[in-house]
Amino acid sequence: MSAAIRVMVVDDHPMWREGVSRDLAAAGYDVVATSGEGRQAVRIAAAARPDVVILDLQLPDVSGVEVINGLQTEVPGVRVLMLSASGEQQDVLDAMKAGATGYLLKSAGLTDFLDAVSRTAAGDTVFTPGLAGLVLGEFRRLAVTEPADPRADAPKLTERETEVLRLVAKGLSYRQIAERLVLSHRTVQNHVQNTLGKLQLHNRVELTRYALQNGLAPLGEDPAP
Amino acid sequence: MADARDSGLQAPLWRAIAIYRLAALAYAAFLVVSNVGAYVRPMLAWPTLALMAAWTVVTTYAYADPARRRPPLLVADLLVTIAVLTASIWVVGRSGLEAGLPTLAVAWHVAPVICWAVAGGRRGGIAAALAMGATDLIVRAHYDQAAFTGAVLMLLAAIAVGNLVRIAEVGQQRLERAIELEATTRERERLARDIHDSVLQVLALVKRRGAGLDGEAGELARLAGEQEAALRSLVAARQVSDPVADELDLMALLEPYASPVVTVSGPAGAVRLPARIAHELRAAVAAAVDNVEKHCVPGTKVYLFVEDEPDEVIVTVRDDGCGIEPDRLAQAEAQGRLGVVQSIRGRVADLGGRVRIISAPGEGTEVEMVVRRVPIS
Repeated sequence: MSAAIRVMVVDDHPMWREGVSRDLAAAGYDVVATSGEGRQAVRIAAAARPDVVILDLQLPDVSGVEVINGLQTEVPGVRVLMLSASGEQQDVLDAMKAGATGYLLKSAGLTDFLDAVSRTAAGDTVFTPGLAGLVLGEFRRLAVTEPADPRADAPKLTERETEVLRLVAKGLSYRQIAERLVLSHRTVQNHVQNTLGKLQLHNRVELTRYALQNGLAPLGEDPAP
Repeated sequence: MADARDSGLQAPLWRAIAIYRLAALAYAAFLVVSNVGAYVRPMLAWPTLALMAAWTVVTTYAYADPARRRPPLLVADLLVTIAVLTASIWVVGRSGLEAGLPTLAVAWHVAPVICWAVAGGRRGGIAAALAMGATDLIVRAHYDQAAFTGAVLMLLAAIAVGNLVRIAEVGQQRLERAIELEATTRERERLARDIHDSVLQVLALVKRRGAGLDGEAGELARLAGEQEAALRSLVAARQVSDPVADELDLMALLEPYASPVVTVSGPAGAVRLPARIAHELRAAVAAAVDNVEKHCVPGTKVYLFVEDEPDEVIVTVRDDGCGIEPDRLAQAEAQGRLGVVQSIRGRVADLGGRVRIISAPGEGTEVEMVVRRVPIS
């Protein structure tokens, strides 16, 4: 079906890396590279140019956020599906804010996994109920901690977006949500995607502001690559 | 009384007392040398001074050993010092003392009082100060303000030292506990890392490879999945209690319920609630989860979802089981047949919260509990 989609697997566990690669190949994906370390993964990705990277959140050398930043610089437009074995909520949230487009627990079944990969490749966001809970929590945290700062203009969710995220967090499928709210499946998907987009945009704005305030990237100059 | 080990603060304190005793001995010797001409029995002054010097050496070594800081030594110290003080009556003479000559043990006699305060706390200090103060007053036969001031100062010093030692001991114990806790936390983190790097990965892989298989292989995969989830929640366990206030993190209380069929979601940070509310909510959630296990087909998925609003906390327990017809739900509830629902409603109502139940056939059941952060009492 999707023979042309190039996938890279980054995981420090060899057995897992091989297993996942085999499953992906069997499902018709082109596994272009594998790596067990974050820095090496970024270097290899620059040459292998994958469409999708399956990334283990906990790598031995660098954090998930650093790998995601590196991948985005080297391969603009790359989609990152994160996997994690332990439920390190803050790490998951940070990685999503840094630009990952999907998240799945390692214990997810093979069909769920392959479904997540194909959705990631198609440009969709892959949300678990756990991730929806984290994202909602983050928006609420921002609303509580940042309204005092007028420049910060904390991102806000529309009522609809909140409604959709709450239903995702309660374990409803997009189809069930679409039925309940009388929306199209596509609209539900868009709402979910928008919430993540707002969070990632806010994250970039914050990083830029931080860089400007600390003189890391003076106005009018391109930040160094 | 002091126990046989030397805590961090005790050793320097005993050393300080030894130095005080030595300095006081030098001062007492100086006074004896300058006043010896006025004494009634000057020849007895030197042996007394020698005894004081000997006792100073003995106590310096004896108190340096934690095992010897026990009642026998303390009582001996007090008695020897009182004896030296009393000897002043014969050596210096009644008339000399009344005329204002200092006792032989001036200043030196405070040392055992401080020892008692350090070893026995405030009470020990007060007892020794009263005994020593009374002896001093009787020996000097002076009952003026200056004499009383000396005794009172000694009493106050004993109380202060006794207090200080107690506070320092408590501080020392806290520090030791904190260090211990940090060591356990670090060990736990190391274990968590190791488990994450090895066991969890293999279990997840076994579960994944065997998920589609029938029979024993499929059963093994299912078991591996259960163990993976249990282990994951164990190593990722957050600290439940807030050491400062009487609050608990609701997320930490609910996370242990995570399993292959139960998903727990909520904010990344802690959801703090007063301990009573948190425990009641946990119990309500447990009842709801049990209910799903009891009444729905095995493998029915359950979703626990926690929302942390500024003034309320919402906990939703949803299952994707068979669901109940709305009118049947109301009917059953009216007849008091929904035992579990009643118990959940009761628990949440006691906290001043409310419960909403949404169910439809084929849609599963959703129990939403809303509790205000501060209970209405």
